[in-house]
Amino acid sequence: MTIHLRIWRQAGPEAPGGLVDYIVPDANEHMSFLELLDVLNEQLIKKGEDPIEFDNDCREGICGSCGIMVGGTAHGPQRRTAVCQLHMRSFKDGDTIIVEPWRAAAFPLVKDLVVDRSAFDRIIAAGGYISATTGGAPDANALPVAKEKADEAMDYATCIGCGACVAACPNASASLFTAAKIAHLALLPQGVLEAQGRVINMVDQMAAEGFGDCSNHAECEAVCPKGISIASIAFMRREYMKAIRSSS
Amino acid sequence: MDFALPTRLNAKVPAGRLHDKWDTYKDSVHLVSPANKRKHTILVVGTGLAGGSAAATLAGLGYNVKSFCIQDSARRAHSIAAQGGINAAKNYPNDGDTIWRLFYDTIKGGDYRSREANVYRLAQVSNNIIDQAVAQGVPFAREYGGLLDNRSFGGAQVSRTFYARGQTGQQLLLGAYQALSHQIAMGRVEMLPRREMLDLVVIGGKARGIITRELTTGRIERHLGDAVLLCTGGYGNVYYLSTNAKNSNVTAAWRCYRRGAFFANPCYTQIHPTCIPVSGQYQSKLTLMSESLRNDGRVWVPRNPQDTRPPDEIPEADRDYYLERRYPSFGNLVPRDVASRAAKKECDDGRGVGNTKLSVYLDFADAIERMGEQTVKERYGNLFEMYERITGDNPYEVPMRIYPAVHYTMGGLWVDYELQSTIPGLFVLGEANFSDHGANRLGASALMQGLADGYFIIPYTLGTYLADNQIDPAITTDNEAFETTEQEALQRIRRLLSIQGDKTVTEYHRHLGQIMWDYVGMARNRPGLQKACADIAALREEFWERVLVPGENGTYNKNLEFASRVADFLELGELMARDAQRREESCGGHFREEYKTAEGEALRRDKQFAEVAAWEYTGDHGQPRLHREVLEFEYVQPTTRSYR
Amino acid sequence: MKLREHPIVAVFTSPVGKKVLTGLTGLGLVGFVIVHMLGNLSYMSGDPNAYNLYAETLQNLGPLLYLTEIGLVGFFVLHIVIGVNIYRRKRRARTIGYSTYKSAGRPSRQSLSSRTMIITGLVLLVFLVIHLKSFKFGPGIADGYVVEIEGRQIRDLKTLMTHKFQQPLYAFGYPVVLILLGFHLRHGVWSALQSLGVMTPRLTAIIYPIGMFVAILVTAGFIVVPLYIYFSQF
Ligand SMILES: Cc1cc2nc3c(=O)[nH]c(=O)nc-3n(C[C@H](O)[C@H](O)[C@H](O)COP(=O)(O)OP(=O)(O)OC[C@H]3O[C@@H](n4cnc5c(N)ncnc54)[C@H](O)[C@@H]3O)c2cc1C
Ligand code: HEM
Ligand code: HEM
Ligand code: SF4
Ligand code: F3S
Ligand code: FES
Repeated sequence: MTIHLRIWRQAGPEAPGGLVDYIVPDANEHMSFLELLDVLNEQLIKKGEDPIEFDNDCREGICGSCGIMVGGTAHGPQRRTAVCQLHMRSFKDGDTIIVEPWRAAAFPLVKDLVVDRSAFDRIIAAGGYISATTGGAPDANALPVAKEKADEAMDYATCIGCGACVAACPNASASLFTAAKIAHLALLPQGVLEAQGRVINMVDQMAAEGFGDCSNHAECEAVCPKGISIASIAFMRREYMKAIRSSS
Repeated sequence: MDFALPTRLNAKVPAGRLHDKWDTYKDSVHLVSPANKRKHTILVVGTGLAGGSAAATLAGLGYNVKSFCIQDSARRAHSIAAQGGINAAKNYPNDGDTIWRLFYDTIKGGDYRSREANVYRLAQVSNNIIDQAVAQGVPFAREYGGLLDNRSFGGAQVSRTFYARGQTGQQLLLGAYQALSHQIAMGRVEMLPRREMLDLVVIGGKARGIITRELTTGRIERHLGDAVLLCTGGYGNVYYLSTNAKNSNVTAAWRCYRRGAFFANPCYTQIHPTCIPVSGQYQSKLTLMSESLRNDGRVWVPRNPQDTRPPDEIPEADRDYYLERRYPSFGNLVPRDVASRAAKKECDDGRGVGNTKLSVYLDFADAIERMGEQTVKERYGNLFEMYERITGDNPYEVPMRIYPAVHYTMGGLWVDYELQSTIPGLFVLGEANFSDHGANRLGASALMQGLADGYFIIPYTLGTYLADNQIDPAITTDNEAFETTEQEALQRIRRLLSIQGDKTVTEYHRHLGQIMWDYVGMARNRPGLQKACADIAALREEFWERVLVPGENGTYNKNLEFASRVADFLELGELMARDAQRREESCGGHFREEYKTAEGEALRRDKQFAEVAAWEYTGDHGQPRLHREVLEFEYVQPTTRSYR
Repeated sequence: MKLREHPIVAVFTSPVGKKVLTGLTGLGLVGFVIVHMLGNLSYMSGDPNAYNLYAETLQNLGPLLYLTEIGLVGFFVLHIVIGVNIYRRKRRARTIGYSTYKSAGRPSRQSLSSRTMIITGLVLLVFLVIHLKSFKFGPGIADGYVVEIEGRQIRDLKTLMTHKFQQPLYAFGYPVVLILLGFHLRHGVWSALQSLGVMTPRLTAIIYPIGMFVAILVTAGFIVVPLYIYFSQF
């Protein structure tokens, strides 16, 4: 199949950028979308042009490295699928696909389709952990956890930190990412002790990074490759009010 | 080929009963006082399970830690991809598991090619890992009573594997990553992502620093430390196609090898039997399907190579369930290496299926008959979805197609009992070292090893090194060793960019992968290995004349990164072939066609080869020098694995 | 932790605190418009004095009325200030937009109304100013809008309304605004509950349609009065 691509090219953070047209004549429905870009890059290199830079690593939908807007949707048209697992059979011969990087002030552009998501790391560092210095931990079964709670915590813990929620959110809000971690940890008995400081600090950090606020568009849940529910955002707000009440 | 007379290596295994060695060690070592810990800077390269857990733990102890990784975030290390689970001898199911059994299974699974003392220690600390992970909030699967659930995994008769859905590695890594983030917030760890270690700086015989490249700007940096922890993972990508992440590489380890660290058992590679087959030239990566599928799926190929009928039209009579035929007692559940070789044989005999003829059927029709589609869905639903997402076929209707893929490398830098390489001050953790898995790794034991190394072993052994060695505080990054090492790294980059040939880095990588797969893959023989050595040497030469690396050093340039990694793979590949050629026996993942039993099974030769082969770099033109570490088995009796 | 010093400040500045407040004020305002709408409907009741009496009872509430009005003003101001602030931060959060953008569809709740909250909101603000000027602070007894009921002279709001809505501008301008109010509520109602953290996936499935219902009800309830007045003049 032949695929037409319009891809955002930008040499560096300060350089001017724009959409450039490409054609991949020898695409194949079994290719992943990233393999399509690989094929295109081989063409470009042979022609002496700069290949298109895009982040990727596991290509299994788990590391969260990949992440681009494909046809206007974060990670492309297939539900619950990171773009590295998106395959060309989701497209038709002759399609034109527009490819752009995540757009958010808190995700400064590095090059082409690559952005800097370190803001996520700082949000986690602000409180997305349980303080448990190595050693000293009690027996793993000392504290039973109701299966439902453990399963729900796992639902939220599956976040791969890809940033699609931010990219798709009309407000460029990081609420789903932040809430998923807050909910994961607060649902477990080990996490409740630090729950109050955690929610306040992580939320403050999220604001400080320049992400937008959440207006409940729920677009984030729709594009999340792990289908994390905005119920986590409601959960975060309950946790927050709890924290405020007990601190005032 | 003639090998310089091997010298013997000393692993510094403590004296005493196997069960007491680790405690004896901990009792006897010197400690670093809290006040002094702050004065020591430790460079931790890699943020996978090994590096992440080590950096977090050492910082927690008060050391001053610098942590490096290639990805844009520490959380993306390749450990994240681990699916199945992690072993521990908790014996929660009360099915008779003990530390001894975990130790024994691991030694046996490794086909008696690993060090008893290390493996026993691994089994001993395994339980602490689970406690630690749970304390960090790792949401392991639980039973309705609220207690932790276990599943059974290949190579064991007990149920000792802890898991978090199909994402155990992810959850364990996030646990370590969050602990690391905590230390970063406390200012005890300086995190440097998007950094690639290009070389090791050795001063006065000790590892004292590394040279890194900042991957978005190309800036070359010097980092000084009192010790270097290499936690950079496995080198399966030497085969180009593997289940490893695209950034997995050997560069860091290889640069250390070139600086004097010995490389042990490079030929030990694990090939995983149940992966999604290659669909075409453009294939960039192979995806693993959990082994658990073999519990209910039946593996078969058509009897007749010419048979082109779709699977559902092939009657029972014309099908060959070759695993069940050849291994009546274990059937589809034979260990990874056996299952993989069997699949290869069928395809070599032309009975492979699919348009590439390089895959075999994994059929669930009978399972669906037997227990109903619903039960199958409950057990394997998510795997079936993943398979369909990638292949477009629905496994409930057409049999899955699978083929083996390179998955894990047991070989790595040689380390002693303290995880210290042959360069003082250079410690190697996780998949990057050669330790605990011998010639074959059991499922769910790599996560265990990575975390054991990082959380519970290095804190002690590193302390010993710092307490017992005088580390010159006068040395700075202005030292000429830094200067020359940095220059060499820069030279190499300039050279790669200046060639401007006509073949891309990927083309060379793919070509190397093909050679490795054909001759240093699942089944190896002397002529093939000799050919591999020659072909790789030739390819390497061509690479340095004709490779085309686009762009410049000053910006984000993945092709430049890969060029330098492929250049190292082109050297490693030859060493692997050389090691495979010298090891004239079959063991675990290493199968030499000359050495097999009458039934075609692996034939170990304990008298000659119950040893670790550790290679020393002797310059680009000299041949690597072999060093042997003889493996003494005081507690287990090496036996032949049989699955018939 | 800086919060410990003055948690209230945090509520007003943190992303989550602000949402809780838009939710609270939003719901409060919903309550108000529903009551207001029902009150207006009494215009059309059989008893010609019903509306004026209703207005009078409101007036006679005295201090209570002032309290509610102050509260109301407070709610509006808070709601508007935060709403505008959220909008401004959103603008700053994505300086370069996408050349194409497609919603992924359900479970996304993104819709025309969710994207235009600020516009519908600001229109409501402008409307409100005019609205208060023409009615609450509009011509009263002094200007001859007076009726005598049971010997009491009271402001004849009913006639005032009649006069206003007999003019096409009012009669058709109001419905336009009221439809925009409907849009505001279409997203607003469920959104407020999500902001207050009461939503669960199952509840959302129920409340989201109810939001639509409320929006239509309020809009329709308001609209009938102007149109009724306008068309019953011929
Ligand atoms: C698909 C898959 C499934 C698996 N499933 C299981 C399982 O179920 N159970 C199990 O026990 N094991 C499993 N394994 C094996 C296991 O995941 C790995 O062996 C283990 O995670 C390796 O961890 P590590 O910390 O040693 O290295 P990695 O996790 O690979 O981390 C390497 C780190 O080093 C960094 N790095 C590498 N090179 C450089 C350099 N030059 N400069 C700077 N930084 C560098 C990387 O950025 C990364 O942070 C699986 C492996 C794969 C591929
Ligand atoms: C008068 C001027 C008004 C302005 C400027 C305004 C503005 C806004 C804005 C911008 C939002 C979206 C907040 C966000 O993005 O999270 C919003 C939400 C909302 N508004 Fe208004 N609004 C106004 C009046 C009203 C009125 C009169 C009502 C009720 C009848 C109302 C009810 C709501 C509700 C329920 C929400 C949802 C709150 C939430 O999402 O938490 N608003 N308003
Ligand atoms: C057909 C539609 C409407 C009609 C006929 C109407 C009519 C009136 C009248 C007659 C008053 C004066 C009451 C008094 O002074 O005692 C009034 C007050 C008011 N109206 Fe409306 N109104 C309408 C719609 C709205 C809407 C949509 C809003 C808000 C979004 C609104 C907000 C107000 C407010 C805040 C007051 C002041 C209330 C008070 O101070 O007691 N009105 N309205
Ligand atoms: S919440 Fe979903 S979309 Fe957002 S970062 Fe996590 S996985 Fe990606
Ligand atoms: S899309 Fe954005 S507005 Fe909130 S619900 Fe999701 S973060
Ligand atoms: S590359 Fe890892 S999630 Fe896509």
